[in-house]
Amino acid sequence: MNDDPEHLDKYVDDLLQDRKPERTPLPDEDALRARQTAAMLRAAKPGAGLPSKEFLERMQGSIQAAVEEQSARPKPTARPSRRSLLLTGAAGIAAGVAAAVGIDRLSQQPTPPQGQALVTNGSWKSVKAVADLPEGTPIAFRSGAIEGFLIRQGQDVKGLSAVCTHMGCILNYSKFRNQFECPCHGATFGTNGEPSDQYDQPLPRLPSLNVRVQRGQVEVYTV
Amino acid sequence: MREDETTTAAPVFASPGKVVSLRHADAPADQEHLTWAYQTHVTAIYQYIYCRVGNRPDAEDLTAQVFTKAINGMRSDVSVPELRSWLYRVAQTTLADHWRQYYAEDTAELEDDVSRPPAPRENPEAVHRVDALLATLPESYRRVLELRFLKGYSVRETAQELNLSETNVKVLQFRALNRAGRERGRT
Repeated sequence: MNDDPEHLDKYVDDLLQDRKPERTPLPDEDALRARQTAAMLRAAKPGAGLPSKEFLERMQGSIQAAVEEQSARPKPTARPSRRSLLLTGAAGIAAGVAAAVGIDRLSQQPTPPQGQALVTNGSWKSVKAVADLPEGTPIAFRSGAIEGFLIRQGQDVKGLSAVCTHMGCILNYSKFRNQFECPCHGATFGTNGEPSDQYDQPLPRLPSLNVRVQRGQVEVYTV
Repeated sequence: MREDETTTAAPVFASPGKVVSLRHADAPADQEHLTWAYQTHVTAIYQYIYCRVGNRPDAEDLTAQVFTKAINGMRSDVSVPELRSWLYRVAQTTLADHWRQYYAEDTAELEDDVSRPPAPRENPEAVHRVDALLATLPESYRRVLELRFLKGYSVRETAQELNLSETNVKVLQFRALNRAGRERGRT
């Protein structure tokens, strides 16, 4: 069997329509490489590649269920029933029991509040020049495991995690509304990291990052 | 049969028997660690995988597989960099298995360099890589790939734009992807 333009176009079309491509054996490495290249090109299309909120909800539910099962095994009595979890704050979320449990658990048991507590064997990495930071406007950066924002007020530079405390999506900064906005479920945070109170459930604030200025460079403690 | 297995997009649900076997899993700190590991990496791992499979259903399946494996194998005492590079290694082997289903021979040489940790925010990087790749191609090849992939034109729209028949567009696309695939293999 040889690869041919029709077969390959079927594959391309599946990618462009976000369908799972049909699994067929390929004749040679060129055919495989052509498909891997097609996948890479597809992913470069603007707007592609963010996980859907439905998927994140399903995953969150699965992870929480797994975590609960683990904690339930050694100490079964310590495990809150799903029913009680469900009743304590997930009303109005129609994404299924597992997702509701996940969301509810998360708001009670936030990720470690200080992101830096988790960075133990890190180091200071230079991420931006102070001169590149406009007064008061958050600038996104990433370094190692850290995705964050830098905000300069005068000579003072602060760092905030850019990971939404709801379900882990990466926040965007809206200049227009001067706030951080989650592309997944619409949670918003002020530039001080506090969640805005319009959101329908309490969220932890955005963790602060360890930031310092050395010789005109902003450094972040990261891994 | 493969359809059934994969269209649910969440093998974590499908195999509850597997997820309870996490080691060192009785302290609350471990649960937080796992939840934290998941929360801070799910989007990045998804994007990493998406950039390599180029479609949502596969990216969702494979991401769920990675975290299922993570739950099964995670130690509670790993540091963040260890955890992070480990999650990406799991993602890489999961991807290699995925491609092996299309192409039976060993795909080891097709895998990425494991020693180079990928960037968490993958999409800008993907765009950069794609620009560099397209720049190596002849104009007609570059044009057909840009129209199809970056602009999302159908074969018919591409044919109109390039003043070609639809068959010719498919042939051009075929040659362009094969050429680009060989270029990628060279680097």
